[in-house]
This record gives sequence, structure tokens and C-alpha cells, in this order.
Amino acid sequence: MASVTHDVVHEGVAEKARVAQPYMNPYLAGIGLGLVLLAAFVLVGRGLGASGAFNSAIAWLVSLVAPGYARSNEFLSAYIEEGTHPLKAWLVFEIAGAFVGALLSGLLAGRVAVAVEKGPRVSVGTRLALAFVGGGLMALGAALARGCTSGQALTGGSLLNLGSWAFMTCVFGGAYAVAFFVRRQWR
Amino acid sequence: MRVLPKLTLNQRLGVLALALGALAVFANVAPGHTVTVNAKELLTSVARAEDHVTPAELAAWIIEGRADYRLVDIRNEKAFAEYHIPTAENVPLATVTDGALGRTDRIVLYGDGGIHAAQAWMVLKGKGYTQVYTLLEGLDAWKDEVLFPVMPQSPTPEEKARFERAAQVAKFFGGQPRAAAAPGSEPMALPTQAAAPGVAPPTLPAGAATGPKKKREGC
Amino acid sequence: MSAPFYKLGAFGDEASLIVAFLIGIGFGFFLERAGFGSARKLVSQFYLNDLAVFKVMFTAIVTAMLGVTYLSWAGFLDLSLVYLVPTYWVAQVVGGLLLGVGFVVGGYCPGTSVAATATGKIDGLVFVLGFAAGTLGFALAFPLVKGLYTAGDIGTKTLPQVLGIPYGIIVFAVVLMAVGGFMGATWVEKKMAGRAVPAKATE
Repeated sequence: MASVTHDVVHEGVAEKARVAQPYMNPYLAGIGLGLVLLAAFVLVGRGLGASGAFNSAIAWLVSLVAPGYARSNEFLSAYIEEGTHPLKAWLVFEIAGAFVGALLSGLLAGRVAVAVEKGPRVSVGTRLALAFVGGGLMALGAALARGCTSGQALTGGSLLNLGSWAFMTCVFGGAYAVAFFVRRQWR
Repeated sequence: MRVLPKLTLNQRLGVLALALGALAVFANVAPGHTVTVNAKELLTSVARAEDHVTPAELAAWIIEGRADYRLVDIRNEKAFAEYHIPTAENVPLATVTDGALGRTDRIVLYGDGGIHAAQAWMVLKGKGYTQVYTLLEGLDAWKDEVLFPVMPQSPTPEEKARFERAAQVAKFFGGQPRAAAAPGSEPMALPTQAAAPGVAPPTLPAGAATGPKKKREGC
Repeated sequence: MSAPFYKLGAFGDEASLIVAFLIGIGFGFFLERAGFGSARKLVSQFYLNDLAVFKVMFTAIVTAMLGVTYLSWAGFLDLSLVYLVPTYWVAQVVGGLLLGVGFVVGGYCPGTSVAATATGKIDGLVFVLGFAAGTLGFALAFPLVKGLYTAGDIGTKTLPQVLGIPYGIIVFAVVLMAVGGFMGATWVEKKMAGRAVPAKATE
């Protein structure tokens, strides 16, 4: 298989990368994801998640700096248990695994490369600033909703959870409503 | 002979999904109602007093603010509304297996006396519930021992101290201590739900263990 | 009923953490396989030219949903032991809207941002940091937001319970909706072809 070099543009350094393989058929990827989720139900009686891992991590960081405050903060104290480390949580291990799994898939497909994903009309700096802001907004939403797309939408959706379906609808709604206004970032 | 149309992979997946979905219409996902009882195990745990908690123990848990168990009142809604032990939730006896109670939850059941709770206990044990207990002698005992403790006649210092503490607990729950009841006397009025813990919780004897607070499960 | 194994005592807490790690590997693997380590692919959903997000998400939901239905029906899985997040509908509606906005602004969701970071995306890493900052901010401001956080508390509710329609019928309805949605998505993508988000970081 001939390898073709491209320039993948990012701040400063150009890198040569093998041709990235095309993505998997979305339905097959979805079946794979669904089977992983089902395995979680059958093995452990819970679904996937992501935002919960961040909650544990933040609770841990705050408890390092101000342990008394962490214990008294109603939101953080739910992630701190007497006698065990806050990072010894199911979701933290799961997210660590997700990092490894994504890296593995990326390596197999030649899709690992330092880059900044953005459209042609916006600078790297702007894109990174918006990534930060978007992440922050999402965190507020996920904290309020008790989950994110993996925990609420995927997990709760497949279990026919009422709150999850309402949440999912609003995620799509909110995104579509605002997409027009930020299109410059992507197109 | 009819030739099947050639379907793409995606189309085949779609057909498979529709077929499985259609069949799922007939699915029954709720567990059944028959119960398997391990008689020896049940009876042994009753004999070893592992099937119940006493009113005094329950009172201590409530005062400590323990949140690692569920207190379940199995009487009907009307009785529950008139009076229930603080922190109790109402799951009428006939609905006890309907799914409100998780199989691995720690549950304390109570009724007016001990019998209905014991019946519910046996059924739940048969369904594989691992941590279910009854309140020994139910609300009757709760009233006698916690809400309206009886003042002993000519008490020893030890009995006096114990009674003092019991009186504090009674006040906490809106009850009050009383002199020994003469047979046939009027039953004491139950505290209304409004008259609930506003009094400072009494100090408990040293060594009253608190259950560990479990981390939140979620996503 | 043999499952969920962990909740019926088959293995302990330590082992469940190892299981979490392995399941996480599967999770991250398929996210990246689908291309969700790329913000541009994810965001294309909301510009209607690549609806992979919808296809992957709902295929996953249908797969797991059918699996759960059949395994419960067969008496293998005890559904009452599978954890369901309680419904706080007001908080979840507001949270969902915020999350949607954050999605098109930031380009990722928490799970995909981890996948993106793993495959080298700097914006993915920055998103992770922003998410962490937002979480901290929420925690610090918790007394102020507590009212919204607990708004709409109606307990744990499923669609069959609330609609009074049998579980299996809802399952079939979801499958119909999903398959119909997939056909619709294919049609929309064809219509929008030619207005693609550029495939490279810059042209």
C-alpha cells in the first residue's frame, strides 16, 4: 500500500502522516458502541458516562487544596467517600480506558496526529478559545442534567429513561439553534 | 420462483432491526411473581435475630441521620398520612414486590404490629433481597419504647439514666414519657407530623457507629 | 436471573474497576472508529451534511435497547438492578440546551473530547480543560444553582411507566423512529452534498 505524505497544518510544526483510513460505517460503529453499552449493563448493572469522571477529578483536586471545603460542598461531597480515593471511581477508570481505546483505534487507522480541528475562516487562537468556552458551557449543562451524551443520551436513551429522552431532544435542539451563529468556526 | 432483491448491508441491518423491534412488542421485561424460599436459611436467620432491628436501634439511626437504608411503612396510605415514623416511605403491602424496592437496597419494614412486616419480609427474602429487616413488633413497639417510654417505679440510678435518655429521644420524635399505664387507660395521642424533630437531637451513647456515606452512582 | 453480575455478587469493587477500564477501551475505540475524535465530523451533524452523530447514537441506543429487552425477557438480566438516573426534568431540559450550545461552540462532548485528545487534537485537550473549569465553577456556585439543579424532581421514570404503554411497544416505536430517521438522514445528506465542511484543517 503506497503511503502518501500530506501536510497536516497546525501551529508551527508540519508533520508527515500516512493517509488516514476512512471512518467505519456509522451503523456498524453504532452496533459496536451499543454492544459495549450492553456489556456494561450485563456485567455491572450500569451504563457508560463521562461527565461523572470529571466531577470525581475536580472533587479530588479540590480536596487536595481545601479538604474541609470539599467535604462541605454539597455537589463535591457526593464524589468523596470516607476511606477511598475519589479517583477510585468506576467512571474514572472507564474514561481512562476510553483514552486508551481511542488511541488504539487511531493508531490502527493512521489517524493520530497533532492538529487543531477547525474551519478555514477562523484562527487557531480563536478556535482554542471557543473550545475552552464550549467545554465550560457543556460542563454546566452536564452537571445540571446529571450526565452528558454518553451517560444520559446513550445509556438513559436505551433504558427508555424519561429524563434522558427529554435531555437528548434538548441537546439536538440547542445545538441546531446555535449552529448558524457559530458557522464561521467550522465552514 | 421469486428472487429476493439484493439488499445492501445497511438495508439488511435495517430489516433486522425492524424484525427484532416487532418481536419485542411481545416482551415481558418485569420479573415474575413466583418466589423460591430457602426454608432452612430463613428460619435460621429468624432464630439468630438477624431478621429484625429494635425500635431503639432504629431511633438511634434516625437521630444520627444515617442515609444508607430505606425505612418502609407497609400500611395503607391513610394510616401513613395520620402518622408515620419520620424518614419512612410508604409502600403498601400488596405493592411491595412491584419494583419500588431495589433488590440490594438495605430495607427496614414496619407495620402496626409485627405480622404484616414479617410476611413482607419472607416474600422479599424469597425474591432474593439480601438486606431486608423488620422493625421488631412494628409501630406498637415504637410507641411503647420510643415515643412514650414508661417511667420505672423506684428506679435504680442506672435505670434512671436510661430513662432520662429515653425521654430525650421521645421528645425528639414528638412524644413524651409517661407513668406506668393502668390497664384499660386511653392510648396516648400520636404526634402530628408537624411536631417532628425541631428539638436538638439528644446525645447518644459513645460508640454509636455511623454507616459510611456511599459515593454517588451516576454518569 | 444471573445479570447484572456485579450487583448479584459475582465480583467485587476492585474487579469492577478493571471491568470499567476494559469497557472504557471498547467505548473509546468505537468513538474513534466512527470518527468522533474529530470536531469537524461531530459538528457536521448540525450543519446537516454528515449525520453520522445521529446514525451512530441511535444505532447504539437501539442495539443496547433490544439487547436489554431480549435479555430481560429471557430471564437473564434483572432490569430492576440496572441503574437509572432519576428525572429532574427542568434541570435536564436546561442542561440539555446548554450542552447542545456547548457542543457546536466547543466541537466536542466530554467522551469525544477524551477520544480527540488521545489522537492528538489540541482543541480536544483545551475542551477538556474548559470542561474541568466549568465543573469547578458549577461546584463553587452550587448554593446559587441548587434550586435549578433540583427543579422538576419527579423521581425515576421510564417512558412505558409515564405513557402507560407496554415496554415492548415503546421499544418497537423507537426502532421504527430510528430506522425512519436513518432513511431520512440519508436523504438529507444527499441533498446537502456539495456544501461539505472542508476535509482538511485549512485548504
